[in-house]
Amino acid sequence: MPSRARALVVLPLASLAALSLSSCGALVDAPSSSSSAAASAGASDAAAASVAINASDSACQVAKTDLPGGVTTFSITNTGSQVTEVYVYDGDRIVTEKENIGPGTSYDLTVDLTEGKYQVACKPGMVGDGIRQAIAVTGGTSQLTAAEQTAVDAYRSYVQQQADATVPLVQQLRDAIASGDRAKAQSLYAPSRVGWESVEPVAESFGDLDPRMDVREADLEAGQQFTGWHRLEKALWTGEDLATVVPVADQLLADVKELSQRVPNAAITPTSIGNGAKELLDEVATGKITGEEEAFSHTDLVDFKGNVDGAQKAFEVLTPVVQANDPKLVTELTTQFAAVQAALAPYADAEVPGGYVSYDTVTADQRRELARVVDALSEPLSQLGAAAAGQA
Amino acid sequence: MIANFLIGLREGLEATIMVSILVAFLVKTGRRDRLGAVRWGVAVAVALPVAIAVALAVAAKALTFEAQELLGGTLSIVAVAFVTWMVFWMRRAGRSLASHLTDKMRAAVGVSAFAVGLTAFLAVGREGLETVFFVYAAGQATGQTWQPLVGAVLGLAVAVVLGWALYRQTVKLDLRRFFTWTGAALVVVAGGVLAYGVHDLQEAGVLPGLHSLAFDVSAQVPPSSWYGELLKGVLNFSPATTWAQAIAWTAYVVPVLALYLRPQRRPAAPAASSSEAPRLRAVRSDAHAA
Repeated sequence: MPSRARALVVLPLASLAALSLSSCGALVDAPSSSSSAAASAGASDAAAASVAINASDSACQVAKTDLPGGVTTFSITNTGSQVTEVYVYDGDRIVTEKENIGPGTSYDLTVDLTEGKYQVACKPGMVGDGIRQAIAVTGGTSQLTAAEQTAVDAYRSYVQQQADATVPLVQQLRDAIASGDRAKAQSLYAPSRVGWESVEPVAESFGDLDPRMDVREADLEAGQQFTGWHRLEKALWTGEDLATVVPVADQLLADVKELSQRVPNAAITPTSIGNGAKELLDEVATGKITGEEEAFSHTDLVDFKGNVDGAQKAFEVLTPVVQANDPKLVTELTTQFAAVQAALAPYADAEVPGGYVSYDTVTADQRRELARVVDALSEPLSQLGAAAAGQA
Repeated sequence: MIANFLIGLREGLEATIMVSILVAFLVKTGRRDRLGAVRWGVAVAVALPVAIAVALAVAAKALTFEAQELLGGTLSIVAVAFVTWMVFWMRRAGRSLASHLTDKMRAAVGVSAFAVGLTAFLAVGREGLETVFFVYAAGQATGQTWQPLVGAVLGLAVAVVLGWALYRQTVKLDLRRFFTWTGAALVVVAGGVLAYGVHDLQEAGVLPGLHSLAFDVSAQVPPSSWYGELLKGVLNFSPATTWAQAIAWTAYVVPVLALYLRPQRRPAAPAASSSEAPRLRAVRSDAHAA
């Protein structure tokens, strides 16, 4: 008997062990502490969706009934006097549920919703069909395969790493500006942007951050404040009194911290990773090659390197997915990324802050050559998003 | 507060009933040496869900609903397997009664500490994660109101007291009645756990038929009423029962109970007249000392 018992025990213990592996499909991203902060920022934010459900004895109030696809967290509060349950139904199928929500307690129910129509049901007293509220989910992700999920997880952790690494660099920049040390602030400027430049498409997906952090003076819209890195750049290189831009530096620091808090809730799909890589290369072509991005500091090549590295990372995480759909694209991109990195290499200079020579020392002919290799990469890279979605 | 108290009571009873009977059984058959294994099983069953919940919180991950139901459902069904085995193990011990030899009975309960500990673990741990989340939610509300937490903890505490009272009552029974009644009770309880596990798997979408109800007495036995919660806690009775649940319950309880209660074929024992039913006073006083 005992030996048979020992064989049986493997089942439950193994299932427990499996659940502790974060990579398996048994887990969804839970709300991070930043989600409420992001929501209060008033962003039209597809990612950090936290939706309040007020479940009382007689009502089931869902704060938002039109939701974007992807991970949504329902913050349920039982304001009634009975024990309640909250279900999300897709027709007859239970998508998710939470039972035993006692009166006066709250519970966060996290669910990954794909496009479609659903019903939220609150069941005060735990009986019957409950009080129903229809919700609609549009856009967003379809169910990911294991390989796609791995790619998304790997890319998210890369973005998180880059965003986290940017915070102390911007902190140092801000401190140098606050202490009026212009030379030091100038040397810190370009390095503080590398992380941002490598993950910019994700930051742009939040909508409100990019215009505050990375707007160029030439691109300001009517009524828009000139803030962020380029405002600091202008002050640093035009001899402006640094005391006037300390609030800008403070805001930038707050923004990079917010960015790193919001990454866990960013809407990332294989397609968005692939399209993001293409956007990064477009940034190179339209901003860096022309020298418009860093009009005062001429540190464009540092940004260039950040953009290319970010795009290459996106390609690398997607490679296992794309390999199956379009192996020729993988070969082509591998070659072209190497060509761009090789073209950039001669301009590396460890003596210069940021590691690359000032762009005003790069001749027109050299710029044309850089443009040529970037274009050669850009063309196949534009197919990456579609290939990642299996539409190659 | 009453509602939270009742949930705590129910979650607690689901765990304590089986453990109470398991402990009473070990005490009555003189296998106190196995009580350490029960303690370990219960301790792990309490610690593991807490550890998992903390790990999930730290990683900012949540179990998907399917995973949670799959875990609860699978563990419930495995728990039933172990309790069933325990029931027949009790029956074998009961058969040895005829010989009046506790030594022989003790031998019949020749069961590994591991299996005993595992049974205790499954009985408590199958709904452990659910209970941890429930108590955590109650604790979180403490900022605004302390009532949910007090209710939940009181409910769990009362369940433990009731489990202890059940243990005291059962060890007072004479051995023959002990084996008959606790065994039969365990079969009915296990049947409820099985039906509950089936329902979990239906909710997870592993088994079909979630919406075909065999009967629905929710109006007569509201699940949030005190008697509804008690029925759920003790027998895992759900007022809205699906066909799959009803069939699983019947298919389990009827044959197992019949097998358990079938007349013992005893080798023409020395006419163990019921008047001199063995009381085994030594074992009983043992129990009182517990």
